[in-house]
Amino acid sequence: MKRLQENRIDLISKYLRTSKLNPELLPEILDHLACEAEERLWDGKPFEQVYQDMVSTADAQTLLNLSVDHQNLLAMEKSLNDIVFENRNKLYGAYQLRKGYGQTVQRSVLMGVAFFLFLIMFPKLYARLSPDSKPGDIAYIVEANPVDVTLEALPKPPVKEEVAPAAKTIKSLTPEVLPDEQVQIETLPPVVEDLATAQPSTKTLDGVEDITIIVPPVDRGSIAKSDVAGLEARKDEIFTFVEQSPQYLGGNEAMAAFLQKNLKYPRQAAHAGVQGKVFVQFTVGSDGKIENATAIRGIGFGCDEEAVRVVKLMDKWAPGKQAGVPVRVRFTLPIAFQLD
Amino acid sequence: MENNTTSNEYVRGTLKTIVLNLLAEHDRMYGYEITQEVKDRTGGAIALTFGALYPVLHKLEQEGLLLTESVEVDGRLRKYYSLTHRGNETAVSKTNDLERFLEAVKLLLAPRNLATE
Repeated sequence: MKRLQENRIDLISKYLRTSKLNPELLPEILDHLACEAEERLWDGKPFEQVYQDMVSTADAQTLLNLSVDHQNLLAMEKSLNDIVFENRNKLYGAYQLRKGYGQTVQRSVLMGVAFFLFLIMFPKLYARLSPDSKPGDIAYIVEANPVDVTLEALPKPPVKEEVAPAAKTIKSLTPEVLPDEQVQIETLPPVVEDLATAQPSTKTLDGVEDITIIVPPVDRGSIAKSDVAGLEARKDEIFTFVEQSPQYLGGNEAMAAFLQKNLKYPRQAAHAGVQGKVFVQFTVGSDGKIENATAIRGIGFGCDEEAVRVVKLMDKWAPGKQAGVPVRVRFTLPIAFQLD
Repeated sequence: MENNTTSNEYVRGTLKTIVLNLLAEHDRMYGYEITQEVKDRTGGAIALTFGALYPVLHKLEQEGLLLTESVEVDGRLRKYYSLTHRGNETAVSKTNDLERFLEAVKLLLAPRNLATE
């Protein structure tokens, strides 16, 4: 098949364009006519004649009919957008947006619905995906390390008693012979009246006046005795302060004598040179007997036990009385151990 | 020429079926090829003009019976037409319809002959 020269194709194309053929149809018709022309040329006819024949078959009216047919065909599927955008620039973008509007809305609605469904269903989905815990499951594994437990010292209960009274003392130093410049004039020896209620010491302290000082055993004379009118106890209640305090029969002096007689300075304490006061707390029963004697504050080295032992020996107490009725009274007795 | 115009009159109604039938026989065809095929097989008795053919092709394409593809041949864009699946079904049914119609037309045209026999 002879090929049509380019300039001749251009000639046909130009003819089609001048006869106002729809540009969309042009390539196809051009191809058709060119094929036909080529075949005619192949038959040995000159191009001029072929061209003339072509123009006569593809006259202006035929081409116009083609265009109109095509236009009608397109019109059938034209939408509102096509009518709106007829003879306007469709490449600008608005046409594409309008054309795809329905699809875009449909897609966005689907996506939105899917998204919100997912949001709403998420807790259920999560619950379904996460496995349920079984009774035998081990939730956590904690490595057990040996822990050193140390006992903390328990806080000591506050001592109920008032601060233990110290014996009232008066500064009474042995006069020393000193050179004149070292003599201290202020340290005057105590007067007799002071010593009547206080005991000589290196310092002056405002303490209990009637304290008994126990010295290592020195045998003294016996003590007087007196009878006690026994009265029945009213209650088991233990009093601390009563109208009439319990009293050792025979008074403090008798008691001091009793203690001095019975107390033995423990050898350990004497050996260690320990001295001081032991506070023995006990209850004087309504029948005058000593109960629950304990050393609430001591100096050790056997002095505490010794003090308690001797206190327990005391049985000649007149019970304290409340409203005339003998009652149990708690009593604290300081006992001083003093080395010579 | 007179012959052509009369044939064109009948062709107009059957052209769609003819085109579908031809495309059913071939994988793909372009416009000029169809006109040549018709011309060759009918010995020139039916001559399709491009003015009649292309509107039919375009209509069938719009109806979704044909697919088109443009291929560049010799510097020109050639548009090939092929049948879609639906086009194949339509081709079969249309051909059957036309055959039955032709039988009926034959019966209509025949009575005189039958009567004489």
